[in-house]
Amino acid sequence: MKLERSDRAPLWAFMTPALVLMLVFFVLPVIYVIVISFMKWNGINTPAFVNLRNFMLLFRDKAFKRSVINNVIWALVAGFIQVPLAMIMAIILSRKPKGWKFFRTVYFFPQVISGIALATLWRAIYRADTGLLNALLNSVGLGHLAKDWLGTLSTAFPSVLIYWIFYVGYYMVIMMADITTIDDSYYEAATIDGATDFQQAIYITIPLIRKTSLLTCVTLASVMGLRQFEQVYMLTNGGPANSTSTIVLYMYKKLQDANYGMASASAVILIIIGVVFIVCIRKIFEGRNEEAAALKKAGRAAG
Amino acid sequence: MSETRVRAPLHGKDLVLAVLRWILIIFFAVYTLFPLIWLFIASLKTNYEFLADSPFSLPAVPQWQNYVNALKVAGLGRMLLNSVIVGVAATVFNVIVASMSGYCMSRFRFNGREQLFTLFTAGILVPLNALMVPYFVIINKLGLYNTYGGMILLYCAIGIPMSTFLIRGLMDSIPMELEEAAYIDGCGFFGRFFHIILPLSRTGIVTAATFEFLTCWNEFVFANLIVSSEKLRTIQVGIRYFTNQFSTDYVSMYAAIMISIIPSIIGYVLFQEQIISGMTSGAVKG
Repeated sequence: MKLERSDRAPLWAFMTPALVLMLVFFVLPVIYVIVISFMKWNGINTPAFVNLRNFMLLFRDKAFKRSVINNVIWALVAGFIQVPLAMIMAIILSRKPKGWKFFRTVYFFPQVISGIALATLWRAIYRADTGLLNALLNSVGLGHLAKDWLGTLSTAFPSVLIYWIFYVGYYMVIMMADITTIDDSYYEAATIDGATDFQQAIYITIPLIRKTSLLTCVTLASVMGLRQFEQVYMLTNGGPANSTSTIVLYMYKKLQDANYGMASASAVILIIIGVVFIVCIRKIFEGRNEEAAALKKAGRAAG
Repeated sequence: MSETRVRAPLHGKDLVLAVLRWILIIFFAVYTLFPLIWLFIASLKTNYEFLADSPFSLPAVPQWQNYVNALKVAGLGRMLLNSVIVGVAATVFNVIVASMSGYCMSRFRFNGREQLFTLFTAGILVPLNALMVPYFVIINKLGLYNTYGGMILLYCAIGIPMSTFLIRGLMDSIPMELEEAAYIDGCGFFGRFFHIILPLSRTGIVTAATFEFLTCWNEFVFANLIVSSEKLRTIQVGIRYFTNQFSTDYVSMYAAIMISIIPSIIGYVLFQEQIISGMTSGAVKG
């Protein structure tokens, strides 16, 4: 609707609450972390400009390097292992096998349970003395593998990382929504030509969702991997020997130490890594654009 | 996919695939459910049974007493109440503000509208955890550290981009003719909002509200950051302290974790469609 002159004042009045909140809680904070990342500040004194000193200190800190490496591993595993698993399940469930609604509901459970509750549950599972994992290993005769999963240097990070890879519900549901929009005629034609379900998935479904929901999910999963906090905070608090730390956990600890400059500098690095990931993932997927576009176009022409 | 699709009888490779398919389907279901069921069963055992018996055994007598203990010892009642107060208040403010901004951005063309879209989309994508420092400072500067108000304001604010997106999406689908007819009849800016757009956007508002409430209910990072008083702890912050309080009373601790999970699961089962559509539509279009 065209904006009438009489509507202008009420319109901006209506927009104001949202605008104020967006400015105070999104625009200002982003500018704020960037500015403070160049300052030395303990939250009480006047902030002092220190140029790139915070960043230098970060790059020299082993704990920070470990956090960055962990986050990058986490983002890669999320994007390139978790999401493909989710895609396989999306392809399977979108064929509506018996009970698919039930399974969709179940797979989605971890998404509605808080990260902190899930982490606590898994802490109980990984416990050395009363944990479910060791009990399972003992019961199948693999008792010699039982250990303090979160307290051992070599197993701590894999343990923190792995449990949540198999929680695929969120990405699966996103891709299922996309797959259901694919025209049936593709599959009908392929079936007539004798293509197996597997071939149909490889040659029809995946190319068609690659640029849309698959790209979205890989991006989302990687970004989530970069934001990890609750899991490590609750499971290991970064230990043993910082081996499970993440950037956000590192930032949180700097904030607790009232080192606002370094906390902000790590926030800036987190945002930069996030942008780099988003751009790279787009680049990786763009190579295949034409193929999918051509297929979609052919579909439209055929339809 | 239509149900009329012709399927050849299974043999050879297809059979292998069908078996593999069901192995995967069941694996993921067991992987999700088994730990939850284990936790639930453990929460009904005595500590002796939990330590001595196999993890797969059932308790001789279900110890519902553990739940009573958990509620008493950890003060879970208070925490659940805090979570409800904060969640409901933040959700109400959030959807009111988002309905207003959604109405403006959906129904009117005005200067700066495109820039607003960009701002709101960026708001959905920005890693909020990175903004811990400024949030901590802002809440302190506003004198809202350690208050319900601080949590409510912050939760309301961080949900604005998403809620606006969801509500605006639904408002976009309402035909302009409806509003134009009302306009000709002399219905003003507010009249059209309250009498036409708002009632017709109910489903979008419910989706946004469900999504926002779930986000608030599950939020931990900021609740932990801007509240230190025990009296104001939400259930998620409370979970962090369970482990210390129940150092050897495992079964009560597990009961406490169950109590924190159950509302989410019940809420999910009741509002499944809203939650799924809220969580996916943002991703698909964003």
